[in-house]
Amino acid sequence: MRRWRRLVAPSLAGLVLLVGWEVGVRLSDLPAFVLPPPSQVARTAVEVAPLLGDDVATTLTEAGLGLLLGAVVGLLLAVLIAAFPLVSDTVYPLVTLTQTVPTVVLAPLLILWAGFGLLPKVLLVALTAFFPVLVAAVTAMAAVDAEHAEMVAGLGGTRRHQFWLVQLPASVPGALGGLRVAATYAIGAAVVAEYLAGQSGLGVFVQRSRKGYEVDQILVAVALVAVLTGLLFLLVDGLARLATPWQRPSLPSRPGRTPA
Amino acid sequence: MTTSLSTEAPTTAVPALEVAGLTVTFPGVVALHDVDLQVGVGEFVAVVGPSGCGKSTLLRILAGLTPSGATVTGATACPSAAAWMPQRDGLLPWRRALPNALVGARIAGQDRTVAEARARELFDEFGLAGFERAWPHELSGGMRQRLALLRTCLPGRPVLLLDEPFGALDAITRRRMNAWLAGLDLAGHGRTVVLVTHDVDEALLLADRVLVLSERPGRVVLDLPVPRDGTDGARRSLLDALEVMTRPR
Repeated sequence: MRRWRRLVAPSLAGLVLLVGWEVGVRLSDLPAFVLPPPSQVARTAVEVAPLLGDDVATTLTEAGLGLLLGAVVGLLLAVLIAAFPLVSDTVYPLVTLTQTVPTVVLAPLLILWAGFGLLPKVLLVALTAFFPVLVAAVTAMAAVDAEHAEMVAGLGGTRRHQFWLVQLPASVPGALGGLRVAATYAIGAAVVAEYLAGQSGLGVFVQRSRKGYEVDQILVAVALVAVLTGLLFLLVDGLARLATPWQRPSLPSRPGRTPA
Repeated sequence: MTTSLSTEAPTTAVPALEVAGLTVTFPGVVALHDVDLQVGVGEFVAVVGPSGCGKSTLLRILAGLTPSGATVTGATACPSAAAWMPQRDGLLPWRRALPNALVGARIAGQDRTVAEARARELFDEFGLAGFERAWPHELSGGMRQRLALLRTCLPGRPVLLLDEPFGALDAITRRRMNAWLAGLDLAGHGRTVVLVTHDVDEALLLADRVLVLSERPGRVVLDLPVPRDGTDGARRSLLDALEVMTRPR
């Protein structure tokens, strides 16, 4: 009963909003270049869908590569920060300070320095993605269970053993949590970078549509960004689960197993 | 060094562990006061005492884990490498049972294939056969403790320091673990064991010698060899020694 309500209630509310939008636009005679009704957006979506393949591929490539680069750099930096207190004291405050600059603001600079191709977009996504990964991994490594660190020390383990046996594995779930957050920003960052320059991509499609006052096409792109972001999140979430099998809920005990 | 041991002399000439005049102070609290202790090679010594008497602190210091904020004076000597087992199992949740067992061997720098073969044998002996690929959270409390003990034994360190290894288990499981551990013949063959516990019966069942620590600040108030034939007398002496301290005042 409750599950049914949780599924049906929001769907119904969404439907009411869509119908309200449709009726409102039709009654008020708003021109389509200001706000088209959802039925027209849906029709446009079907029309332009075959043409969007290249744009989607470009945006996804930028977002995927950027996310990967950001995650690798974020994790490496987190490892350096955890392993060397000097790096931690020197670099971490600076990196945190740079986050007062929204990465989108840097997009023009990146295009100036890295050209009009794939690179500046990948860099912008990476810049956006690395910080959540870094912070989550550093936090996880700093919060290492004292019980585990003592166990390693009590067996004669050195700092190196602590790092490889405890700190680094303990950081993985944290870093993956950061990557989940980063995945929700990635497509948006790629699209914004495409607004400024580029030959293909959803951002380019939006700019082209804006110049032709084709608001319905812009709305199609907006919906597509939402769907792609959702899919990317699900993908990253699935990979994160695969990478941390010990965090799965415990399986029912197999036959033949008797607890002592 | 001359020791002020008023009780019995250790059984062997060369001690595996030696502590003289050990005093440990935390800010505002004296945890251990002037503790002397000698443990011979191959000896199994149990340390009992009321909770909070500093027995875990003593073991940590023997293991080279100085608690943070503690001031330590006196001499401790542990010529050979020790392996310490914490009260909580300390199993790493991201390693399956077998890799968890190999942590100690890896730290000791043992060859992986040799250590793994030995670990598989010990899984049998420790009643963990078939659980090599289980995650720690899939194991019962008793199995986790046995795995932690296996991890501590595998590197083959000559000194084992066990901090209430079964303290977190329920009474029935603990009794079964003790019977099993007593049959394991942990000490001997040049291996020395120091076991910290608050369970007098556990101490008598497992140890060759039982030390009683007083309430904080902990001092050694009784050093009792466990007779192999009937422990009733020894049990009474231990309970008497503990009774003096725990009597309500």
